[in-house]
Amino acid sequence: MKRRTALIAFTSTAVLASLTACMPGTGSGSAAGAPTELVITTFGGDWQKNFTDAVVKPFEKANNVTIKQVTLYSADALAQLQAQKSSPQIDVVFFSGGQEATAARDKLIAPISASSLSNGADLIDSAKSGLEQGEGPVIQISPVGLTYRTDKIDKPTSWNDVFDPKYKKHVAFTDLSNSYGTLGMLSINQAKGGTADDVTPGISAMGQAAKAGDAVVIKTSSDLQQAFSSRDIWLAPYAQDYAETLRKAGQPVEFVLPAEGSMASFITANAVAGRANIPLATKFIDFALSSDVQAKFVSGMTYSSVNQKTEIPEDLKSKVVWGSSLDKLQRLSGATFGEKSATWLKQWNEAIAQ
Amino acid sequence: MNKSRTEPWLLVLPVMALLVIAFVIPVASSLIASFTSTGSPGFTLANFSDFFESSVHLTASARTLRMAFIQTIASILIAVPLAYIMSRLSARARVVMMIATILPLMTSVVIRTFGWVILMGPSGPLARIPGFLELSNSHQGLLGTELGVNIAMVQVLVPFAVLSVLGVINGIDVRLQEASRTMGASFLRNFWHVVLPLALPGIVSGATLCFALSISSFITPNLIGGAQLPVIGAFIYQDATVNGDLPFAAAQAMLMLMAVLITIAATNRLASSRMK
Repeated sequence: MKRRTALIAFTSTAVLASLTACMPGTGSGSAAGAPTELVITTFGGDWQKNFTDAVVKPFEKANNVTIKQVTLYSADALAQLQAQKSSPQIDVVFFSGGQEATAARDKLIAPISASSLSNGADLIDSAKSGLEQGEGPVIQISPVGLTYRTDKIDKPTSWNDVFDPKYKKHVAFTDLSNSYGTLGMLSINQAKGGTADDVTPGISAMGQAAKAGDAVVIKTSSDLQQAFSSRDIWLAPYAQDYAETLRKAGQPVEFVLPAEGSMASFITANAVAGRANIPLATKFIDFALSSDVQAKFVSGMTYSSVNQKTEIPEDLKSKVVWGSSLDKLQRLSGATFGEKSATWLKQWNEAIAQ
Repeated sequence: MNKSRTEPWLLVLPVMALLVIAFVIPVASSLIASFTSTGSPGFTLANFSDFFESSVHLTASARTLRMAFIQTIASILIAVPLAYIMSRLSARARVVMMIATILPLMTSVVIRTFGWVILMGPSGPLARIPGFLELSNSHQGLLGTELGVNIAMVQVLVPFAVLSVLGVINGIDVRLQEASRTMGASFLRNFWHVVLPLALPGIVSGATLCFALSISSFITPNLIGGAQLPVIGAFIYQDATVNGDLPFAAAQAMLMLMAVLITIAATNRLASSRMK
């Protein structure tokens, strides 16, 4: 009996101790003169590596701050902001799926004016179009276009090339459970005369091709890599940065922006409302918009630059969308996506399932 | 006296606690969730009516059940002779066969399935066989076909079937078989009239296990069958993670659980009537 009591006492002490350790404020207190801390989200993996080298380390050095990165994907990050509304724990949050619209509407993020950004005047329009609604600026763009095997087919020019009889059995579409799949479908839909309110032209054309076996439907980026390497696929609508991933894996592929223009994935950086150091967070975001940092996003991640002053290296000019072509990129509003994606997915499932 | 009665309870306590935390509570909360809706408060049958009104979901359910049935039969047909042979081998040979059977379980399903994808696809060795690529209408060989999914799934399921059949066959008294053979029964007759009836409990539990595993699988069907051959597990995953519609996903999971329970009840009943 005695031993049991001792055990219980020990366990509860241990639990209490670990609880206290988790509590904010206790443990390592911030002494005066110590660097300030910024907490930012990250998407992890190669993205984090590139972002750390391009933004985090130089900014830490120049501003005597320590930056803590927390891996959080867009939807999870939004959920955290909502949960922590009364006492937010994050300073800068990145969204890739349009969540900034919801975050701005719910006043979870602090508005940033273009004039408060030293790089504001150099930004392309689509990078700052959300500022007025209280969203953060776009820091990275990944256009969706056509990725094709250069050893098998000529450079495609139009979204309609995915339906070209010459390429039958060699086309891969991406499932709508993947956001690039959705952007690709919307781009094809537009080329077929549809709109976000009416996706039938795109979905029915793609569904017919899939059901006839003229195109396969893959689900994830790794499936796409496999489709190109071992499933005899020559042509697929997908993102610009992933074409570079395929090239690094040894695939002879290039990326092209079809003449009709396309949808793109826009990654925004947002300062979280209610945090003590919003000016520093804004400065951090501003730094990520500078042409030097943008050049590192272009060369390291094959993203398109949002800063017009960014020098695009010669060898990348054929690999990334830049200059006036950026005007052909459209942004899907987070609100539209949130409202329609479930319906699109349902219609898509009905169109492709056998 | 008192102590000896509480001790068994103390011994099962950990597993009971685990079952309650990891099974009873989640299943109960899924059951409750399946009668709710994300948009509106209160209880509703909307998830179930949505399911039965969606042709895509019904087709996927029929496909899931059909494939689970085929895979279970195929796994048992392979497992029973294999287990029988293993039971009659020398101890050393049996260990080797046992390792060969269990070894695939040591690799993750994803890795194993990627192996199949390469083997079954247009760049694999099988693609050299004339007409192989035309097995799928997109000229992808066995990829995107139910046959391809069935083959890959049977590989996943056979070890489970072998293990449950072997456990029972090993317990059959060898003297019964010796008796039947000395009385003039052929190898097949002995197998059919002595071994098989006595192995029935193992076959039933193996088949039930295979069926339950098959009906709930979605990784292999996803990778081999792809988006165009959805199974119900894939829809549950999609509705839970992509659409964020947990109540609808829970409703589908409950329907699937019901299908498994009905199958278990039916096979048990069938088996016990045969064994009488």
